[in-house]
Amino acid sequence: MVLIDILISGLILGGMYALVAMGLTLQYGVARILNLAYGEVLIASAFATYVLYTGFAISPLLGLLIVLPLAFAANWLIYRVMLTPLVKRARNRVTLEIDSILATFGLLFVLQGIAFVVFGGQYYSYSYLSVPLHLGGSIVSVNRLLALGFAAALGIALYLALTRTRSGTAIRAVAVDPTSAQLVAINVRRVAGFAFALGGAMCAAGGVLTSMFLTFNAAMGVVFTMKALIVVIMGGVGNLLGALLAGLLLGLIETFVARLVDPGLTLAANFALFLAVLLIRPQGLLGRRAS
Amino acid sequence: MSALRYDWSTLLIAGTLALLALVPFSGDGYHLSLGIGILNYLVLATAWALFSGTTGYISLATSAFFGIGAYAAAALGEVLPWPVVLLVAALVGAAVAFIVGLSTLRLSGIYFVIFSFGLAELIRQLVTWYEVNVAGSVGRYVFLDISHTAIFWQLFALAVAVFVIGFLIYRSRLGLALRVIGEDEVVAQHCGINTARAKLMLFVLSAVFMTLTGTIMAPRWTYIDPAIAFNPLISFQVVIMALLGGAGLLYGPLLGVVPLVLLFDLIGAHFPNYFSILLGLIFIVIVYGIPKGIAGLLPLEQPPAAMLAAKADPGVLDIGYANAPKADSHPLLAVSGLSRAFGGLRAVDDLSFAVDRGAIVGLIGPNGSGKTSALNLISGLLKPDRGDVRFDGAPISGLRSDHIVKSGIARTFQLVRVIDDLSCAQNILAAIAWRAQPQWGAAAWREALVWLDRVGLKEQADLPAAKLTYIDRKRLELARALALQPKLLLLDEWLAGLNPTELQSGIALIASLRRDGVTIVMVEHVMDAIRSLCDRCVVMNAGRKIADGTTTEALASPEVIRAYLGEDDA
Repeated sequence: MVLIDILISGLILGGMYALVAMGLTLQYGVARILNLAYGEVLIASAFATYVLYTGFAISPLLGLLIVLPLAFAANWLIYRVMLTPLVKRARNRVTLEIDSILATFGLLFVLQGIAFVVFGGQYYSYSYLSVPLHLGGSIVSVNRLLALGFAAALGIALYLALTRTRSGTAIRAVAVDPTSAQLVAINVRRVAGFAFALGGAMCAAGGVLTSMFLTFNAAMGVVFTMKALIVVIMGGVGNLLGALLAGLLLGLIETFVARLVDPGLTLAANFALFLAVLLIRPQGLLGRRAS
Repeated sequence: MSALRYDWSTLLIAGTLALLALVPFSGDGYHLSLGIGILNYLVLATAWALFSGTTGYISLATSAFFGIGAYAAAALGEVLPWPVVLLVAALVGAAVAFIVGLSTLRLSGIYFVIFSFGLAELIRQLVTWYEVNVAGSVGRYVFLDISHTAIFWQLFALAVAVFVIGFLIYRSRLGLALRVIGEDEVVAQHCGINTARAKLMLFVLSAVFMTLTGTIMAPRWTYIDPAIAFNPLISFQVVIMALLGGAGLLYGPLLGVVPLVLLFDLIGAHFPNYFSILLGLIFIVIVYGIPKGIAGLLPLEQPPAAMLAAKADPGVLDIGYANAPKADSHPLLAVSGLSRAFGGLRAVDDLSFAVDRGAIVGLIGPNGSGKTSALNLISGLLKPDRGDVRFDGAPISGLRSDHIVKSGIARTFQLVRVIDDLSCAQNILAAIAWRAQPQWGAAAWREALVWLDRVGLKEQADLPAAKLTYIDRKRLELARALALQPKLLLLDEWLAGLNPTELQSGIALIASLRRDGVTIVMVEHVMDAIRSLCDRCVVMNAGRKIADGTTTEALASPEVIRAYLGEDDA
């Protein structure tokens, strides 16, 4: 029974990681911005959902309709105002990566500071559809399953949009080679801004959905950023299916360690996995080797 | 001639330290604790910049080492004599840095940043887990009889040590190597620098300083727990301070530490709730406004004394190549069965050829036929899937580039790679300092000027490479390759893109190299050059060798004509 328990919780957690990491892989793989303030966006949307639900009685799922467009707009603004100057002055990809790491590192502290001022350091949670459901001999609450369902739907929608539509193809072209993408009349900067905003919206979705069943506080963003980064690199930068696979793997291993070894060692397990993948396959599980 | 007399940066460091040394005598507790704060960050930021500022590997792991040091003090302070505690802390910090560096520094920079970002968190979790499950409580009390004045003087000694060691490194050949690594790691490897070892050494060294700072600072708190010791804010502030000051220079962090510690003290006292917001904003302003730091705005950098000495007395220097061609039975370079695929594309497919001593061999073929990949396999930039490369009788396939360089193979790149931020002479100096028979100091500068003269760049010796024209960049790259004193020189389309006059002088230059006894393999498309220079040609198409013989024979082969011009003209 413990095994099924671990499997179900692990998949739910892993699904969340995969969703969040898909957003980050859009930001990093397409817009080439390594966003260290990524987790703060997640926490911000979790707080927004909390306020909407406890203050205005708007259910989290309905809240998605409010939070996602807001997050999209906010991330687009961040890209336009804060990151475009860095893109313009970058000599090459490496300098842009370092500049963006530093700038978003500053943003992390600003956003985290605001969250502390508004909400303080304590943990928050709310109860929404926490109805137990029997599933193959183990008990899962409905909100978790719902969160997983929505995550899967969003992930599939994103995947189809990227592979089946014209703008999706443009995004993938920029991910592979920004210089060549320009040669076929793709406006790289606009596509990059769009991808960054879309990534931020995916992250916000992750925040809304995780807030349905996890407690959170103002300081937790960093942990989510770390995990999303680990998943993105493990899966192969810019690779959505890789992010899905790596996300699920991370969720399973984390739940496994938390249940059977010690909850205090989950991050250590994450890092061990991350390091192992980096050393054996630096290009990621599904990434292609750069020539 | 005293180099120090003119050196403003040394004056700046010495002056700041001298002023700080007066602080304990003011007898004011507040000033003392501010002085401790400044020294604390001075050591951390300078140590950080020693590694991250030069190599460009941004480390966010300062708090990991600081915390290790603090915990060493908390755990051992009451058991062992203080000097032993310091020693143990330094060793533990070095060991952790060694393991982390060994496993992450050979990866590209970005992975290192991410890993260092999480390292502090990881160690914090492990320590918390240990304290809760094994030691029985999260926090520890630190009851050590060490006064604040004693803490101050220990930190002061540490600051002096970090500046002295930093000074020695910046003016050593290791310092130059780190700057080259920070700009272009491939070039560094092709100058003969063992980049992994250089990075690891500096990472460990900087970690030892950070760890010791943590140990010395620990007695300031009477109680520590993992959240205090491994506070990520420490890493963050160190990066801000170093960047504000300028991370590329020894005295850079100092210019950031002093104003920011005072500012943070002010913010902490008046707006404690908004501390992290203001901190973040300051940081963003610095990243946008002064990317090179305050030091970048001050013209303090002085020309090295060794260079001045070399210019004052150029002397007569007989430079040669370590390799007069000797009659020998085996060829200088023998490639057999060399193969490398990228995914499904077989870039180099079962390639075999030999190069005799003193010869110029053309490696030619249509675009995309695998010529550059073949050069990359020989120079160690790529590892072969199969096959064997023997140089001077010894197998070299699979070795690192710096090994291959030291065994006597130098190269130029198809897309010219020189270090833009360094002067032309320094570009050459890197090669002279790290080749098989290295030189350093005035002798090395003298030699660098000679090599520059050899390719016609003597006048530009002090110019940053970024300012050179295209042809001059190519010349500089060739001079760097020659300064490695190679037995074999690999040229990758060195003559491409030159105008007719430049082409003639380029061809003459290569011909003169042959007279000096250098063996050359050249990838080339310029037929005039191939006909006038090459004794033999190896022709490739789609990764395979399709012809190999004297230049006239090879170019006349029907298969070669078919490859270049298509079926109809064959």
